[in-house]
Amino acid sequence: MWFQVRIVLICFMFGGVALSRPQTATIARLPRASRAEIVARARAIANHSWTCGSSNLNASCSRKYRSDWKVGQRVTGVPYRWGGSDTPEQFDKKLAEGLAAGAHSQYGILSCAAGVDCSGFVTQAWGLPAGHAYSTSNLRQIAGKPKYNWYTDMKPGDVLNLPGSHVVLFTGYNPDGTINVCEAAGSKGRVVCHAATWSRFVKYIPLQYKGIDE
Amino acid sequence: MAQLTLSMILVISALIQGLSAPQSTASPRVASCVVPLSQTVRIPVNMLGASEQPDTRDTSIPTLLVSKGAVDELPEGPASFDVLQDGSIVIVDPLRKRICVFDPQGKFRKAWKIGFAADSVTLLRSGLLAIEESGTDILHVFDRDGIAKPQESAVIPKYGDARVLSGTSGVVNRVSAGEARSLEVNYDRQGSRLLSLQVLANDTEGNTFVAVEGTAAGDSGEEIRLNKAIRRYSSDGTLSREVSDIPLDYYVAAVDEVRVRDGKVYQLLTTNSEVRINVWNTNDQCQHD
Repeated sequence: MWFQVRIVLICFMFGGVALSRPQTATIARLPRASRAEIVARARAIANHSWTCGSSNLNASCSRKYRSDWKVGQRVTGVPYRWGGSDTPEQFDKKLAEGLAAGAHSQYGILSCAAGVDCSGFVTQAWGLPAGHAYSTSNLRQIAGKPKYNWYTDMKPGDVLNLPGSHVVLFTGYNPDGTINVCEAAGSKGRVVCHAATWSRFVKYIPLQYKGIDE
Repeated sequence: MAQLTLSMILVISALIQGLSAPQSTASPRVASCVVPLSQTVRIPVNMLGASEQPDTRDTSIPTLLVSKGAVDELPEGPASFDVLQDGSIVIVDPLRKRICVFDPQGKFRKAWKIGFAADSVTLLRSGLLAIEESGTDILHVFDRDGIAKPQESAVIPKYGDARVLSGTSGVVNRVSAGEARSLEVNYDRQGSRLLSLQVLANDTEGNTFVAVEGTAAGDSGEEIRLNKAIRRYSSDGTLSREVSDIPLDYYVAAVDEVRVRDGKVYQLLTTNSEVRINVWNTNDQCQHD
């Protein structure tokens, strides 16, 4: 036992330095954001309205692409694009240029489509620049496990992450104990905010953005 | 240095595992009358290939369709269902933009095109079906033959409100026969915390069905862990039945995971090989602890 403890202490003395330096630098570079700012940004993306034009139904770089939308359809919420991280302003610009509105993973990452995926949405809400440096697989580099009880004390702007699969932004608890989340949902084709039961999030890991301004 | 760092991580992990007490995954004891699973209806699904396009024209295909998903995109497929008075099961098939009807044993009866991906279907009091369009959240009304009824209103039945008061108690305000009644919910599972309450249904005999989510994980776990039960309360507020430990290993995240019809609790669980409809009959005799 004493031997194990000594190994741990030695590892912390030598290896700990190697681990913490780049991580500290990454965290120091993260844009700071208050919880209110994060939620406001998320809601702005979810409430962003747009109209699908005929040119937005096709993706010039994919022959097999099929749109989720119809011509003239008025939609609320920036559309889901796998691998995307467009802000509402960037999305509007691309839409006007005739890019496809949203795309799913079955078509690959399409440069000729506009929209945002789940991790692109969450990092955008946190205030990170577009570019998709983080996915659900490495989100933990910039978000740590909250020290509070997440069943009762999670705070708006935290996320529930299923590495390699999906991430949603937590915005609050309801009186009946269900939770409110915002997410870029492939099944909805866009960013939405809604109430959800906990069973939707079995095996998800709660994370708190390291650039949060409390 | 990289080797040293890696070995450090391995040593710490091993030490932590060795020192930590094993985490309990057992469900808390249930003190009420437990209803066993009475039936599982199995409906096969097809997996959408990577370069394949879903067939949205053929309504005779007897299977449902799911997609594989990817990193940062969840699998898609049937996420909602409802049960008709004769026990037939109505399921959304969003990738094929259609609604499917199966008999109570899971045999394909028919399907109809709706022209959009739906993520929810609800049987209305009128007997019509309200179908929610995924991309717009607009409710469309159809009859059971798939004829659109745009002039009909789609008022989703509401059975009451719930409030969690503490980790061990809550209250449900149920609406039955136009009368509002309050119902106390006690969650006295040792070491477990009540998370949420949802009123699922009220029946003509005054029973109220409540979904109860709780967790024994505390705040020490790494991931969300919970258990889900469906309780039947009598008109006098007595807890008479409990369907405990609803399986939660969804492949496609459910929008409407549980429905109640004539005392039977139905759960939709979409896996990567089939859609399971688990059925618990709360009218049957049940097991006591």
